[in-house]
Amino acid sequence: MSDNHARKSNCPLFCGLSGKDLSPKARYRCMRNSLLIVMLAITLIPLSITSGLNFIQYQQLLREDSQANARWNAESARATISAYLEKLEAAITVVIDTYTFEDLSDSKKLEQIFRQLKKEHQGLVDLSVVGPDGIQSAYVGPYGGLVGKDYSDSLWFHKALTRRMYVSEVFTGFRNVPHFVVAASKKDPYSGQHWVFRASIDTETLDRFLALADTEALEDIFLINDSGTLQSASRYHGDAMKDFQLARKPKQNDILIFEEMRGDSSFYRAVSRIQNTPWLLVLDQQGAEARKIWHSFKGRLLLTLTICFLASGGMVVWLSRFLAGKFREADETRDAILSETEHSNKLASIGRLAAGVAHEINNPLAIIGEKAGLMQDLVGLDQEFRHREKFLDQLGSLQNAVVRARTITHRLLGFARRMETSLTLVQLNEIIPEVFSFLEKEAAYRNIHVILQLQPDLPVIRADHGQLQQVFLNVINNAIDAIRNDGEIHITSRRENHKTVMVAISDTGPGIAPEILKNIFEPFFTTKGNEEKKGTGLGLSITYGLVQKLGGKIEVSSEVGVGTTFIISFPVYSEGSEGEGDDHA
Amino acid sequence: MTTRRILIVDDELDFGVTLAERLELRGFAAKAVGGAQEAMAVLAADWRPNVVLLDLMMPGIDGLAALDLIKQHDPKIQVIILTGHGSTESGIIGMQRGLFDYLMKPVDIGELIVRINESDQ
Repeated sequence: MSDNHARKSNCPLFCGLSGKDLSPKARYRCMRNSLLIVMLAITLIPLSITSGLNFIQYQQLLREDSQANARWNAESARATISAYLEKLEAAITVVIDTYTFEDLSDSKKLEQIFRQLKKEHQGLVDLSVVGPDGIQSAYVGPYGGLVGKDYSDSLWFHKALTRRMYVSEVFTGFRNVPHFVVAASKKDPYSGQHWVFRASIDTETLDRFLALADTEALEDIFLINDSGTLQSASRYHGDAMKDFQLARKPKQNDILIFEEMRGDSSFYRAVSRIQNTPWLLVLDQQGAEARKIWHSFKGRLLLTLTICFLASGGMVVWLSRFLAGKFREADETRDAILSETEHSNKLASIGRLAAGVAHEINNPLAIIGEKAGLMQDLVGLDQEFRHREKFLDQLGSLQNAVVRARTITHRLLGFARRMETSLTLVQLNEIIPEVFSFLEKEAAYRNIHVILQLQPDLPVIRADHGQLQQVFLNVINNAIDAIRNDGEIHITSRRENHKTVMVAISDTGPGIAPEILKNIFEPFFTTKGNEEKKGTGLGLSITYGLVQKLGGKIEVSSEVGVGTTFIISFPVYSEGSEGEGDDHA
Repeated sequence: MTTRRILIVDDELDFGVTLAERLELRGFAAKAVGGAQEAMAVLAADWRPNVVLLDLMMPGIDGLAALDLIKQHDPKIQVIILTGHGSTESGIIGMQRGLFDYLMKPVDIGELIVRINESDQ
């Protein structure tokens, strides 16, 4: 149990609250740090969690958006190419349905049709007619040497024969240039054999259509076939006819979307089949993290987070300092009150003791006094007594000693009565010497001359005798403390006007700086902290309170290097003001 | 002029007797008794004092109670408290009950006689 306690005390988080072994300064510093850590944790952890969640959520949203965007772009590109092919297929269907093999084998006719189709179908390179034997019977286009070529071994020719309409893969063929063909076959009604009408389109046409899908986030878009040959130019994988292997392929009309890596950055790949063609459309789009909007979001989030961290951190630092300061202030207040209470209790105990001692001494003192007095009386009456003069002299000394002892016991009783509160008519000129009598030994010891200038016939005031004693005791005591050694204290009483009497207490101490002077009556404000005689900071505050309670006023003026003057004034007692202040009695 | 009578009531009988003797030397007729009961016996015996000097803290009947008894017996008898155990409150209470003055021991004989004379005017 004790080990646990020891561990708890050493824990830096709680040392401010339970670290009894630490010095007060270290304890409050530790408390401030503990508060700082706890409050930083309370404010910054939720902020970090919220920001982290926002980060993840926005990233997720952006990913979904990128994927949707890639899907939409792929869909759009596929539709564009499909529309082009459908239009061309429709034109070819019209031609093959309208004309016979013989009609189209006529070069002039074919050229006329070619000119017509070229106007409407960009990218159309040539038209040709291939007979059932695979020999090209007519051709119109830039590659005139192709007439008479034998296509009986060509894959496209055989596939065209088996289908009404066929779109080939991209191949170089006899012309040795990448292109693809759209071919349609028709049965000759006389021979019953199929012949083929075909249109060749260069791959640049496909590139142009694919380029229409280019957006800011688009990385690459191209076509491949199932055997992994590029059907159009790719930004990253080269021109048509180059090899490119696709990891995953979609079935039928699906659009497959997956994440791929290129170097350090990720991107989304959308793959879809173009219906009735041997092609797969591949579209690569920037990943969410590569998009400008993501960088912008990260920047804004970082900026917001930094501002929040700085603001919260600043607030927390200020708050922890403020709270630790308040704790310290409260502790110091409590300590000062305890100290003052202890001091008061001590004074009260001393007062009771003094009163007890004085009372107990008074009785035997009275007996001594009376006995000596009687002896004086008797010796005085006896003119014949031989040692009459000597006896009277001795008895006079005895009586003087009794008077001295009586002065002491009465002063002790006066000190004890300061604890009581009752308003009486008080003559300030009597109080000041009384108070001074308590301090005259100390003043003499420190070589401080006290000069009293008391105006005769000073009007009386209505106040508590003991409290007034305390007021003057505090102020004169402060003056002695300020001078330390060798100096003067001037105590002056005078009637200021018909309503006020005042007492000025001036010392030749070092004086008080203006910034200290303005706080001098504040509770717990002390300048005696570093000296041997530590002040509670309550003396002048109590004095101020007492003077105000008695209806008076206390003012201070000081000049550094010259000295300090306290002026305490009270209203003069008059019959009309008798009722005032009775509640203090 | 008749001799004025002073009754001293104090449990410190040595003090009372000495003071009585000093007062007699000054022309008073003085008696000292050790407590309130004896004082009341003196009053009952038809020795009427002009002034009673009364101690405050005495065994049995204390000074304030004795003051009441004396005032009940004869309100015209002046009473001066002469005590070593004084307090402001007891002085005020005494004044309210007809006390003439309140003096602290030890007292100067001259001052005491001034007060006695004042009380008996």
